[in-house]
Amino acid sequence: METVLQRPRRSFLRDWVFTVDHKKIGIMYGVTALFFFLIGGLFALLVRTELLTPDGRFVSVQTYNEFYTMHASIMVFAVIIPILTGAFGNYLVPLQIGARDMAFPRMNALSYWLYLIGGLVLFSSMFFGMPDAGWTSYPPYSIQSEGPGIDLWVTSIHLVGLSSILGSINFIVTIHRMRAPGLTYNRLPLFTWSMMVTAFMQLFATPALAGAVTTLLTDRHWHTVFYTASAGGDPMMYQHLFWFYSHPAVYIMILPAFGIISEVIPVFARKPIFGYHAIAYSSVAIGFLGFFVWAHHMFVAGMQLSAGIPFMISSLIIAVPTSVKIFNWLATLWGGAVAYEVPLMFAALGFIGSFIIGGFSGVLIAAVPLDLHLHDTYFIVAHIHYVLFGGSVMCVMAGLYYWFPKVTGRMYNNKLGHLSFWLYFIGTQITFFPMHFVGLAGMPRRYALYAPEFQFWNDVSTVGAYILGAATLIVIFNLAWSAVYGKEAAANPWGARTLEWQTSSPPPAHNFDKIPVVTENPYGPYDKPEGEPGLSPA
Amino acid sequence: MGGTWLPPALTQMAREADTLFYVMLAVVTVFFVIVEVLLVTFLIRYRRSRQRQVGVAVHGNNKLEVVWTLIPAVILVLMGAFGVKYVYAVQNPPANSYVVHVTGHEWFWEVEYPNGVKVQNDFAIPAGVPVLFDITSQDVIHGFYIPAVRLQQDAVPGHLTQFYVTADPKDIGQTLPVPCDQFCGQGHPTMVGSMKVLSQADFDAWLQQQKEKSQ
Ligand SMILES: [Cu+2]
Ligand SMILES: [Cu+2]
Repeated sequence: METVLQRPRRSFLRDWVFTVDHKKIGIMYGVTALFFFLIGGLFALLVRTELLTPDGRFVSVQTYNEFYTMHASIMVFAVIIPILTGAFGNYLVPLQIGARDMAFPRMNALSYWLYLIGGLVLFSSMFFGMPDAGWTSYPPYSIQSEGPGIDLWVTSIHLVGLSSILGSINFIVTIHRMRAPGLTYNRLPLFTWSMMVTAFMQLFATPALAGAVTTLLTDRHWHTVFYTASAGGDPMMYQHLFWFYSHPAVYIMILPAFGIISEVIPVFARKPIFGYHAIAYSSVAIGFLGFFVWAHHMFVAGMQLSAGIPFMISSLIIAVPTSVKIFNWLATLWGGAVAYEVPLMFAALGFIGSFIIGGFSGVLIAAVPLDLHLHDTYFIVAHIHYVLFGGSVMCVMAGLYYWFPKVTGRMYNNKLGHLSFWLYFIGTQITFFPMHFVGLAGMPRRYALYAPEFQFWNDVSTVGAYILGAATLIVIFNLAWSAVYGKEAAANPWGARTLEWQTSSPPPAHNFDKIPVVTENPYGPYDKPEGEPGLSPA
Repeated sequence: MGGTWLPPALTQMAREADTLFYVMLAVVTVFFVIVEVLLVTFLIRYRRSRQRQVGVAVHGNNKLEVVWTLIPAVILVLMGAFGVKYVYAVQNPPANSYVVHVTGHEWFWEVEYPNGVKVQNDFAIPAGVPVLFDITSQDVIHGFYIPAVRLQQDAVPGHLTQFYVTADPKDIGQTLPVPCDQFCGQGHPTMVGSMKVLSQADFDAWLQQQKEKSQ
């Protein structure tokens, strides 16, 4: 018998633009987010450069306002959320649950293209007029602000928000319906656990943001008065809507990051994850409590002070599930056989070592009495950067290095990897720790010009920011170069036991030749690592 | 070095806030040191070696989970409870307060005294008397912030926010910065007022002088 096999036609257009393969979509999310990471980072460096001197010699106040607005908006909406949920989530969830793709592959592609367009709309404001009202864009200032900046910003939020909602539905259905036989929720990899909670948070929170920015847009152009006090509107309403999204968004930006840590630490400690259930269910607790703390951003915004007390208590309580995770990760390291590989360095020293500073400063500013002083000062800027940079970005780096051999089939350059880790770790402390000092001393945020007494620590921060900029270039170079020229990696170079490592590197289009049957929890006990390339026994 | 830590506190309330800050800072610092020391110790002590190729096969410990859930929970709630009294103290100004109206504008503070005198940015208060600021805004949201008293309230159009300040007589003669700390546009970083603490007699004279100036 003769079978005629027609080779599938291939082209860039077919392979990438029309693809509905979750792995390719994940890679496209990742590459796009890293591109925006460079742009957002460039804005950060421009901001820091302006702050070298107290009298603003570099750019005008207006330009500075646009720079920090672009920095934060790009980092939140076009980098951290999409790289965690879009890149890591899309690439890993179907593989980790032993599925061939997401539940709705075409909708998945749509999510990516909406995100890309949304990101580009924000990016394009560089040429048409940038938004200048901060990533929070509070009215009435954001209504008054002239030019197309805020409108482009709103359009961008609409697009990436829709992308988020579609993506979250896709994850919920995929995780609920498409797990391999035997893969119960109690055997689900912890990254996938965190993605499920994150998806629910995105689904419930994002509509509030859409409402906030849509009403902002109609107030700007169609004479509605949602936020005009003299006509009976109320600017505080926007803040409630905005933070009802944006506080959960902080957890949307950290839960998948926690998930990455839970994958990396047991593999490199060669020890079962300590307290699997505690880690999984504490994510659920965070997801739930995350919706009851939003007003801690508004203690001084005009609410009755004592109305802040329940929010203060809930904000303190939400530190509990997070500290439970930290203790379990520490306990996983205890009695382990820890290999100092790049992903582990980012996860353990980089993430745990830095993130807890953001956690502890969060406890301080959750207290109404302290927030009355520290609100809207650099102390808040220090806090959010320890959470999002010391937290989320460190985890992103851990994840990029950890799954790089899976995605590309090649190994990154180890020396450059370690160099980038130390630059990131030291750069983070130099950049963000001094912000606590000037914040305590009363330096308000969003100041292009500031009192001379604050200059010293601002200069230190700026030096740290340049170090982080250099480190980022090294990371990008390492990944790009190694993807083409790196040493070939084995299918499972780390000896991990989650399902994505049980197929080839890179995985075939259909992920698994045979759908695996799961019989146990994926976190060890582990075999001896001997003979596995990529691990260097000391 | 200036610009590195809490500025000198002007009021008794500010000193109470600082006490709260130091207590909470001490608690989180203890936890911070514990976590960092454990982290570094475990990383060094349990480094992979020829003898140490796999970790111990331990999956968890329910007693430990309970302990490290409950201890932080109790400490955190206690820290919250510790601040409740202060919140009510800030919220309830003394009945005999001297009321001053503050209005945020793009980009200056307008301060109006009971006798109708209005000054811009640079204002004065009498020491020893509770001075209540009634704060609002004419245009966009501003933030009325006095670092020396550890208090701030946003100036929101259509809303009235408040806090009060009772300056110590020993601080007479001091002038303190009053920055706007809620982003309000191009003039935001230069919207910095100043508050001068005067004795009651000097304050009355100052107010009279302002009144004559405006006529
Ligand atoms: Cu929040
Ligand atoms: Cu202002």
